[in-house]
Amino acid sequence: MKDSRNCSTVQLSGVLVTLAAAAVVVIVSIFILSKTPFSTIYYFFIGPFANKYYLGNMLNSVVPLIFTGLGISFAFKASMFNLGGEGQVYAGGFIAASVALLIPSLPGVIGIFLSLLVAAVCGALIAGLSGFFKMKWNTDELITSFLISNALIYTIDFFITGPMDDPTNNLLATRKIASQYHLLRIFPPSSLNISVIIAILAVIFSFWILFKTNHGYELRLSGLNSEFARYGGINIGKYIFLPMLWSGAFNALAGAVSVLGTTHCCIKGFSNGVGWNGIAVALIARNNPAAVVPAALFFAFIEAGANSAMINADVTIEIASIVKAVIFFLITSRVIYNSFRRKALV
Amino acid sequence: MSNTGFSFPVIHDAIDIMTPFLLAGIGGLVTELSGMLNIALEGLILLGAFFSVIFASITGSLFLGLLFGVITTMFIAFIFGAITIYLKANEFITAIAVNLLATGLTAVISFHFFGTKGNLVFDNFARLPVFDLPALDSIPIIGDIFLGHNIIVYAGWLLVFVFWFVLYKTPYGLRLRGVGLNFKAMSALGLNPKKYRLEAIVISGFTCALAGASLSLNIGAYVPNISSGRGWIALVVIYLGGRTPLGILIASFIFALAESFSNYAQGFINIPADFILAFPYIITVVALVLVSAIKKRQQKIS
Amino acid sequence: MQTCLEMRNICKTYSINGRTVNKNVDLTVRKGEIHALLGENGAGKTTLMNILYGIIHPDSGEIFINGKKVFIDSPLTANRSGIGMVHQHFRLIDDFTVAQNVVLGMEPRHGLFKFDNTKAEKDVLSVINKNGFKLEPNAKISDLSVGQMQQVEIVKMLYRKADLLILDEPTSVLTEHEIQNLFIRLKKLVKTGKTVIIITHKLKEVKRLSDRLTVLRSGKVVGVRNTADVDESEISRLMVGRTVALKPIKVETEIKEEALKLENVVLKKRRQERPILDNLSFKVFKGEILGIAAVAGNGLSELENLLGGMVRITSGRLLINGQDVTNEGAAVFRRAGLSYVPSDRLKRGSSIESSVRENIILTNHHRFVKKTGEIDSSAADEFSSKLIDNFNIDADPSTRTGTLSGGNIQKVILSRELEHIDGLVVFAEPTWGLDIASSEYIYKKIIEVKSEGAAVVIISSNIEEIINLSDRIIVMHSGEIVCETKNTEDIDAAVIGDYMLGLKNDFSKVTNER
Repeated sequence: MKDSRNCSTVQLSGVLVTLAAAAVVVIVSIFILSKTPFSTIYYFFIGPFANKYYLGNMLNSVVPLIFTGLGISFAFKASMFNLGGEGQVYAGGFIAASVALLIPSLPGVIGIFLSLLVAAVCGALIAGLSGFFKMKWNTDELITSFLISNALIYTIDFFITGPMDDPTNNLLATRKIASQYHLLRIFPPSSLNISVIIAILAVIFSFWILFKTNHGYELRLSGLNSEFARYGGINIGKYIFLPMLWSGAFNALAGAVSVLGTTHCCIKGFSNGVGWNGIAVALIARNNPAAVVPAALFFAFIEAGANSAMINADVTIEIASIVKAVIFFLITSRVIYNSFRRKALV
Repeated sequence: MSNTGFSFPVIHDAIDIMTPFLLAGIGGLVTELSGMLNIALEGLILLGAFFSVIFASITGSLFLGLLFGVITTMFIAFIFGAITIYLKANEFITAIAVNLLATGLTAVISFHFFGTKGNLVFDNFARLPVFDLPALDSIPIIGDIFLGHNIIVYAGWLLVFVFWFVLYKTPYGLRLRGVGLNFKAMSALGLNPKKYRLEAIVISGFTCALAGASLSLNIGAYVPNISSGRGWIALVVIYLGGRTPLGILIASFIFALAESFSNYAQGFINIPADFILAFPYIITVVALVLVSAIKKRQQKIS
Repeated sequence: MQTCLEMRNICKTYSINGRTVNKNVDLTVRKGEIHALLGENGAGKTTLMNILYGIIHPDSGEIFINGKKVFIDSPLTANRSGIGMVHQHFRLIDDFTVAQNVVLGMEPRHGLFKFDNTKAEKDVLSVINKNGFKLEPNAKISDLSVGQMQQVEIVKMLYRKADLLILDEPTSVLTEHEIQNLFIRLKKLVKTGKTVIIITHKLKEVKRLSDRLTVLRSGKVVGVRNTADVDESEISRLMVGRTVALKPIKVETEIKEEALKLENVVLKKRRQERPILDNLSFKVFKGEILGIAAVAGNGLSELENLLGGMVRITSGRLLINGQDVTNEGAAVFRRAGLSYVPSDRLKRGSSIESSVRENIILTNHHRFVKKTGEIDSSAADEFSSKLIDNFNIDADPSTRTGTLSGGNIQKVILSRELEHIDGLVVFAEPTWGLDIASSEYIYKKIIEVKSEGAAVVIISSNIEEIINLSDRIIVMHSGEIVCETKNTEDIDAAVIGDYMLGLKNDFSKVTNER
């Protein structure tokens, strides 16, 4: 018991160091880039909490991050790399919108449920394809998931800007979905909606699956040591394929709830970055579903901060990418973690 | 350009198109042989393209732009390698960091100095010089296919040879491959394998910078996402090329030919631009899956 | 006699786990002697030698070579001071040739840049010939036998002009014959003025080979002796701190029905003419121990994989308790009655990142699955606590397995595999790398399993272990069975060794039995 508690403090310390480094980078780059650094820093760090609208929208943007964080965690737990988050999120949103547009007359609850379900299934199949290739022919899932995702993004772009484009507005987007498909807004005037509850349920569900069930036990063992798992009679091929299904399904749900809850149509490139951020969220959370929520909050905060700094001051939103890059650089460093492990023992 | 037939311009263009694949591919090969999968090629190409064009416009000199662009990219590759190797971070995650940094940094700098995140077009420096030998121009096939490319194209061919020599004919190459084959054996000899891996990553920064520069300096402009997946295709080219310089040369030519052909086909059949963009990814996945399926099949048949 | 090496007051504590592995260690080695460094696993022998070779940096202490103080911070400086080390696990690059491996880091050049392969091969050949080794400089490492690989490692050090050679457990992977050859070569080297330190825990070899010996226990020197002045039992007392009976007592058990049967099993690899397992047929019955011996690289590990359900075969049949399980996965093998203690404890036998509980319940975890798909965690806890008690494992159910000692990890594996025995238990290299006390415990357990009526297969490259435990012995060479015999008192380890090396392959001369 003592051992495992030590372990988690060590991990938390490592994460905090990384996040602190990221904060330092934000501040330093703002000083370099901004003519009014202090007000820019104010807008970056305080802006997201300035009013109900900003706060609600920030919390709303946590939701897709929770889903992708869970999605990537499921793959990581099984030692699979799903780099196709971007495409899976985009596809999820696109499919959800398509279902809503194809059958606009379904009653709300059924319609919402159906479009979420179809989106999740499609996402699962997309990521599952990479898992299948890996299981069947040992094709590197890291590369195939990324490539398939990119191919999908362009294909979906074609549909959104071509046959499914809404000619009535100049947005590159599909037509608006019928109103009974909209997820209930709960914090006006912001876009925060009941999808936040779905996300929390997904977290609980994931935690239960991973740590309480036989499926999760076998999945985690296959990820930690596949030879051991195989030796013990576990069908490891199954745990190359299934985690990718989970992963794709959660990623697709991230896109679907964005469309049904926030944008109400599928906008070209709306998934921008959510897939990659999911990887960072999963890493900060150390693939633990319970920790995905604070990690996603942190990420949404950076994004919202950069956005507020862009609107109110003189820096561009991509400053967030630099912060994220710093996190990606440091978050897996074993040297940083070991330095804490050493101190914990002394 | 001569107009002797339909296929020559296609091949001629393919030779231009293959250059970034080839350059990023051989750089990636060096890291691959040192025992690391380098998925940061894409980001490094983008950084090379951006910084070489920016520095060329600042200095007004094509050569200085290329030089500083390459140095900057190698420096970022160095940071990437140092963090991965000496802070023992996961190489895939740090590589994603490079790719993120590339899009973020280029946009931030572009916005800060030029006030836009869109295309940056410059005309205060020369274009990449094109190599032409009038004497050879009249030779039918050679003149049509091998002449009239910019100098980075030829530099690429030269580098393939140089890399082949260094990797397989020098003590340095022997040690570098040794690191990839058995890391512990090298450290038991006190040969500091980490140093070789770091150098390999910096070398990949060098070739990727050239690959990027060949894209941006050629048109004298920087377009966001100008690398458009070439780093990923380069990765696949390494595998399909059997992890040898010659194989990479051939594989990148085949990819380039496919792309060049689809560009031409667009003139006849109206394919939406998005599908053209998706095409290299699709064909790459198909190629990857086929190769691994064939490999698996061979393993089964005894 | 002149002193070649003196290490004074060497101390080393690992910061990562706070374990002290060397406490004020002094070591003096005379020029021209073979010095044995003895101790149990974890006694600090390898750490001490890694310090001498510059791989590990000591917290304090001094090193003198030929009376001069030296600072060694890497293998390169060690080489420069004339020290060479051959690691227990060879550090060779399989795809390179012998010559390339030897010259790596000190390559002869042609001009400024070019690697001169011809000169490398010539130089290496001259080192090989001068010291009486038998190697082709242009042979690939992957084509060599284990004994030859060891020769390459020694040549590598001699090429670097090493005068003091350290060999870490050099005999652990060799056969009797190869050991003899190695010893002859080492004695020759010493005659030409070299000095040798061998790290070992095999007492017989110490007697046969060394001139003097130093014994370490828990990181401290507990004795320095002339080998001629001590006997094996005294050395063993120094090492362990008490006397131990290493030879397990055999128990006669009634032989019952057949538990394992192999019929004409062939295993081929792609594009390989010679099968890795060539037409193997044998049976194992409940109540007996079958020992299978071979030198590494002769199909032993493939046989282990086969019996564990980890590899598919090209032709033949495999039956467990009468059930045909040919080319089924480990799950089917286990359901048919297999328990299996693998040779690779860290990669196959356990998941070191997981808790002890998660390690123990594997293969038994289906018992705890509720209808909802959940694992009944309290039942799993109770189960693993019970096994931890039964097998005296020094851990909690929630301890991370990687923090345990090698002996305790093996006990975790034993507890899981022996908890439920259904007729057949396969042990592969059961005591490899374990200290004497743990080995003793494992031998006791193996005998226990047999006396409870199960069929036992021991796969091992350690002949002593095979002879001490088995009722019947099978020897494999090049994937073929070259000898099958009952184990009787008059069996000769050297003869078994000849079979393992392929020097003999008739079925007659082991004992008078057949």
